[in-house]
Amino acid sequence: MIELKEDALVFSFPAVHPEARLKITFQRTFRIPDDDKEYPLPPGFGAFPLRHVDDYAGKVPQRWIERGGVLLPMYQSEALWLDFMSYPTSYGRHAYPFAIKVATGKINAVTGDSWSEGLNRSPQDYMVSTEQPWLDGYCVEKGVIRQFVAMPLGAGYSAEEQITGEAEHGGIQIAVYPMKREAFENYFYFPKLEEAILVFGPSVCESCSEMGLSPGGRMRQEIYKDPFKLDDWDMENTSRCFVHIANSMVWRSITGDDPPTVPLTAKDYNDGGLPWFDYYNKDGKALSGSQKLDQMKSVAQKGKEKGDVPLPENESVTPDHIIKMRKSLMRDQVREGHF
Amino acid sequence: MTTYIVDYIVYNMETIFGQYIRGRREELRKKDRSFSLRQVAGKIGIEPSFLSRVERGEPTSLSEEKIIALAGVLGEDPDVLLALSGKVSTDIQDVIRKRPKLFAQLIRDLKDLPDHAVLRIVREVRDGDW
Repeated sequence: MIELKEDALVFSFPAVHPEARLKITFQRTFRIPDDDKEYPLPPGFGAFPLRHVDDYAGKVPQRWIERGGVLLPMYQSEALWLDFMSYPTSYGRHAYPFAIKVATGKINAVTGDSWSEGLNRSPQDYMVSTEQPWLDGYCVEKGVIRQFVAMPLGAGYSAEEQITGEAEHGGIQIAVYPMKREAFENYFYFPKLEEAILVFGPSVCESCSEMGLSPGGRMRQEIYKDPFKLDDWDMENTSRCFVHIANSMVWRSITGDDPPTVPLTAKDYNDGGLPWFDYYNKDGKALSGSQKLDQMKSVAQKGKEKGDVPLPENESVTPDHIIKMRKSLMRDQVREGHF
Repeated sequence: MTTYIVDYIVYNMETIFGQYIRGRREELRKKDRSFSLRQVAGKIGIEPSFLSRVERGEPTSLSEEKIIALAGVLGEDPDVLLALSGKVSTDIQDVIRKRPKLFAQLIRDLKDLPDHAVLRIVREVRDGDW
């Protein structure tokens, strides 16, 4: 089951385990420069607003209603990262593990393959919540991703268009699989704590205002190998959601609300002495990148081909202040930026 | 010869409602004299004799508006007082009237659940065809 609570998708599986809960938010951030350098992780500036598509029937395309799910606003060439937040359980505060599949335009962000149901290995097409706190982009090499950057669907930049040649879906697709209860209790047997700390138009706009995610700048981020067995995941109980991306310029005409403010540049953030982040998981093994995804042209490269300038203010930056976050110490650290 | 006088108390809606509000008013009056029959009647804009008949359970009827005002004066929940008098507030009636099948079913389904079980309504994110 998925609930929309305060701009977060909250996944719960009461039929599997009462404490099986995962919260996913889409974080606003700045676009890292799309040059050949590799950058550390940019901060989050708060979650993108999320709304049920059903609340805007008549204001969004009919196919959005057919797909169900939610919508969020992005400006052209704005970036985004996904935050996977687990809840501590009463089992020694260990979080309940989930397998998470993420696609953009129904192209898997880890493998570059077309969307499929179920979990696959060789190559692994999902992430594990206990290993992977965030996903910033497409896994192009071992330890390197290309940042998720929004571009108008149909303009040729999105991962979907570069790989399939079509601009059919756009948006972000997510499926979450909980660990089987028996497997969880097997791995994480702890005497139960006394208190279970459980936290957790007028006119219809057509595809000119529909966005698809595209590969932007390079960032140091590992996608971690699943440390559990494929059989540990509960394939019978899954929840999935289609996240539509509306252009921020039309968000007000759809929802009546103001979109979030235009994000600042990497240069301004860095000049302000504000921190970037690095994540260190010494036990995690990183997946190799996907060739399919690596072969995509970044937004800047595609723009050059087309004679466009899709990314204003794309100058290189040297990050000055990097905060290292280690997996075991992460509990109280947050990947946040304030300006 | 002993004469037995037996009072038959007819328990109808008016009696229960009347007894309740009288009980509340008297309790408040012990601490504060402004809760006399006359004063409370004045506060809600009715004659004291009328309020007296209501409290005695006589077949008189207070309007929804007056019951809500009375609830305010006595520090009672207006929906609770309305229910005691056999009424449902108009705004709730409108909600039910718009989707009577849905709400009738919902209320019947929830009727026997203990209070703590009827905690919140969950709206799920709907998954469609893709």
